[in-house]
Amino acid sequence: MRKIGVIYSGIASHYRTFKESKYREYVSEYFYFPDFEHASLTDVDVLIVPSQLNENLLKQAKAKIQQFTKDGGIVVAFGPQPWEWIPNQDWEERETNFWWWLEENPKSGLHLNKPSHDLFTYISLEDATWHQHGVFWPIQEAEKLITTEDGGAVFYIDKTSTKGTWIVTTLDPDYHFGSYFMPATERFLNGFFPWLTHGKI
Amino acid sequence: MTEQSSLMLDPGHAFGLRNRTHPFTRENFHLIDQYDFATIDLEPFKCLVIQEFCDQEFLMQQQDRIKEFLHQGKIVIFCGHLFLNLLPGTFPFVPKTVNSFRDYFISKESDHEIFEGVLAEEMTFNKGVAGFFARGTHPHAEEVEVLLCLPGGMPTTYIDRLSTNGTIFVHAGKDLFNYHAQNKSTNRIPTQLLQWVHDEYDRIQGEETNA
Repeated sequence: MRKIGVIYSGIASHYRTFKESKYREYVSEYFYFPDFEHASLTDVDVLIVPSQLNENLLKQAKAKIQQFTKDGGIVVAFGPQPWEWIPNQDWEERETNFWWWLEENPKSGLHLNKPSHDLFTYISLEDATWHQHGVFWPIQEAEKLITTEDGGAVFYIDKTSTKGTWIVTTLDPDYHFGSYFMPATERFLNGFFPWLTHGKI
Repeated sequence: MTEQSSLMLDPGHAFGLRNRTHPFTRENFHLIDQYDFATIDLEPFKCLVIQEFCDQEFLMQQQDRIKEFLHQGKIVIFCGHLFLNLLPGTFPFVPKTVNSFRDYFISKESDHEIFEGVLAEEMTFNKGVAGFFARGTHPHAEEVEVLLCLPGGMPTTYIDRLSTNGTIFVHAGKDLFNYHAQNKSTNRIPTQLLQWVHDEYDRIQGEETNA
């Protein structure tokens, strides 16, 4: 069983998702972001880096987060990433189509690229389907689990860039669940937290 | 109101990048990283804007400064979901129980200048999707001025002139100064809210002068 730590931002949606809701049972430690540089990460196996964090603090935290994976840790990064802090990060922002499901012959544009991956015994593609704010173009050795139709990564795992593991997704269920919007995000988190805790990564 | 007499706290988040550089923000607000609030001189400012993605734990530590700002007859605008009682007279956000998209319908409670000419259905729907504007309420004292409601008379947006010497504006939803370029009547909100800040500050100062 992996111990999960979360960078805690003091943002309302993160308070709800990580500290107030049913998912708090999966979190063993919170690291308040302004104090992160003094935090010890030695007791956690996984570090969740939520979406929408403060730019200055994120840039300051970059070296410490990267060191955590150099020591073998697992980092989860949620949401759009306009600032470079993930190894070999290649983020492409795209216009968000949040109304796709109202269009004629609606298509989310998402594709399950590795259906045999253990994550998909915990969640389905539908559980990861609401909208996305862009895509990543990870290194070739990374596993792209969910992609757009043109091959951009919406969810990938990189075990090559460092000794540890980077689970990177453009999806931001931490924001949407925490702000009481987009019901699929709850189904995603219902499977994602057990997978992070017990699943094959 | 002179330019940049409103202080806006920038959460420094990814979604805020566009608004951070938007001409409306640049021209009308003194924008600082939220964590610089601890040290900035508040004297030149008439209004403090706290955005949806601000760190409420940090602002809770700054509660005395916010209270003092209001005590001096100034204005605080909060948009988002409060989970801490940062502001006098406020209580944590309560979400609306949602069974259908109709539960997100916004209605106007008055013809207030902030929402003049703004169509309720254009606040409710964005590209045909309801729910972006507001999804719940902050419980409050009865005497506040309610501007907008969700069905069942659940206030999303109100003005509190009684809890302090100043005025507190609370909107349980997305940042109202960021409704730009939507090609609909909601584009009126940022300038009208800013004009209201100007009018409200003059009103408070007038009252203090006459007192």
